[in-house]
Amino acid sequence: MLFPQAPSHRAFRVWVRHLVYYRSFYLAEWAGNLGEHILWLVAFGYGLGRFVPNLDGISYAQFIGPGLMVSVAMWNATYESTYGAYSRMRIQNIYESMLMAPLTVGDIVLGDLLWCASRALIGSTLMLVVLSLFGLVGSWWAVAILPILFIEAVMFAALGLIATSLAHSFSFFNFYFSAIVMPMFFFAGTLFPIKGLPIWVERLSEALPLTHAVRISRGLFIYGHVENFIWHFSFLLGFTFLFLTVACVLVSRRMVE
Amino acid sequence: MPGFVIDARGIEKSFGTLKAVDGVSLQVKPGECFGILGPNGAGKTTTIKMLHGAVESDSGTLRVLGRDVATQSRLIRAQMGIVSQEDTLDRDLTVYENLWVYAGFFSIPKKASLTRIEYLLDFMQLREKWDSQIKTLSGGMKRRLHIARALIHEPKFLILDEPTTGLDPQARHLVWQRLRELKAQGLTILLTTHYMEEAAQMCDRIGIMDGGKFLVEGPPQTLVQEKVGDEVYELKGGASIEFLDSLQGLSVTTEIVADILYLYSRNGMGIMEHLISFGRKDFLRRPATLEDLFLKLTGRELRD
Ligand SMILES: Nc1ncnc2c1ncn2[C@@H]1O[C@H](COP(=O)(O)OP(=O)(O)O)[C@@H](O)[C@H]1O
Ligand SMILES: [Mg+2]
Repeated sequence: MLFPQAPSHRAFRVWVRHLVYYRSFYLAEWAGNLGEHILWLVAFGYGLGRFVPNLDGISYAQFIGPGLMVSVAMWNATYESTYGAYSRMRIQNIYESMLMAPLTVGDIVLGDLLWCASRALIGSTLMLVVLSLFGLVGSWWAVAILPILFIEAVMFAALGLIATSLAHSFSFFNFYFSAIVMPMFFFAGTLFPIKGLPIWVERLSEALPLTHAVRISRGLFIYGHVENFIWHFSFLLGFTFLFLTVACVLVSRRMVE
Repeated sequence: MPGFVIDARGIEKSFGTLKAVDGVSLQVKPGECFGILGPNGAGKTTTIKMLHGAVESDSGTLRVLGRDVATQSRLIRAQMGIVSQEDTLDRDLTVYENLWVYAGFFSIPKKASLTRIEYLLDFMQLREKWDSQIKTLSGGMKRRLHIARALIHEPKFLILDEPTTGLDPQARHLVWQRLRELKAQGLTILLTTHYMEEAAQMCDRIGIMDGGKFLVEGPPQTLVQEKVGDEVYELKGGASIEFLDSLQGLSVTTEIVADILYLYSRNGMGIMEHLISFGRKDFLRRPATLEDLFLKLTGRELRD
């Protein structure tokens, strides 16, 4: 075999394990998610939004709506793939027990990423529900954001898993969150437009994977179409495969001595 | 009969400068039970982890169930059950869910896995705990669940790393009882343990490991017979020089540990009479055991 640790369809079995666990607490999580989403929308969209002029004829609440969906996907995928995965890998020995069954590191990594993305997608879907209850959704195409967010979430989960495989304690994640995730959140155009900021900020923003998820989502959410869709989509997909591969290699190194 | 279940030749593993496994060769036949004994840090766990690919060997060749571990460990694991030394039960799940999810890892069809789980819950006496959280189980129950989980796919070969360490006598006896039953059913077993007598009863062959190497290997009774003798006399209180000198003529080897004098005898002839003629009546006479051999080979100083 060329890649003895390569992922396969058995990743689904790993995903099922997480689902079985999830069954014991999902209602509480959904309630928490809904409350948090409404809080964000009201505080920023309407609270802060009162002081923000319409942007291209769009209310601030409508502007940040898709931004919030995208960032919910990122944050959820990131939490699950850092704190969650670290606990599974280093503290609870769950990865180790899976490696005593006929699974490969690739199966475990892919299963974990699909799980992180599934959970993130639920969070974003609840955000979409909140946004539509507030009458902010401009186009039915908004539903098409969800598969895009799934890919985005796999990408951030893979990035989170890379951090997890490098971490030697939970405190490493403080660094990861403040150095990577926070700047990504602020400079991807989720809460304010990047256009018109200093040119280096614009350039930086273009290089962030989150920016491309935001562009696609905002287009679909408000207008029902996306300019340069292929470019943004390829960017997301490219980084997803890159991070997935790196995550497999690094987790292998961590798990097999 | 297809060759060996385990065929290891000169496998080695270093962690930095520490040679944890230093040239281990081991052949185990189908249906055989092999026990690895050794003090803490001897390299038992590392050897076992090499067998299922969790630790990669630096050199040597290693085949398990006829396949090369380096390239085919996934397929090997599909046919082998593993009970690790560390607790690797899934604490987020209940007893039943642990087994059900694990059955999924082996792609066991749903219906077959349900009957298998029922059977194993009974076999390991865990039925009334089926819906419990892992943290509510006693140490013995966790071990039993571990073993049940390792048996979920009816493996051909079972590996257990210290399956009875830390258990109370009742739990320990139940585990040994079940292992004997599995062996009688023809399962090939490799285990490590610190319980010498149980190993001697259960294992067809044992190997005593220290410093990453097997010091001896063979059937327990034969090894004890060859390397220690038949009988041991333990004498409390000191022994005078002239008493020690008087033992020269007898076929015994002696060892003094703190205030105890051990006499290891090969045929036992005349020793009783000799002791009594010296007025020593405060001795204990017993058969030589695996523990005598173990201590003889690995020394008596503490390891951790
Ligand atoms: N991952 C590791 N990194 C460094 N040293 C290790 C590692 N695993 C085991 N060792 C060392 O290798 C030696 C053998 O350990 P081990 O195989 O666990 O012994 P045993 O199971 O016989 O007690 C010990 O000195 C142990 O400290
Ligand atoms: Mg050990």
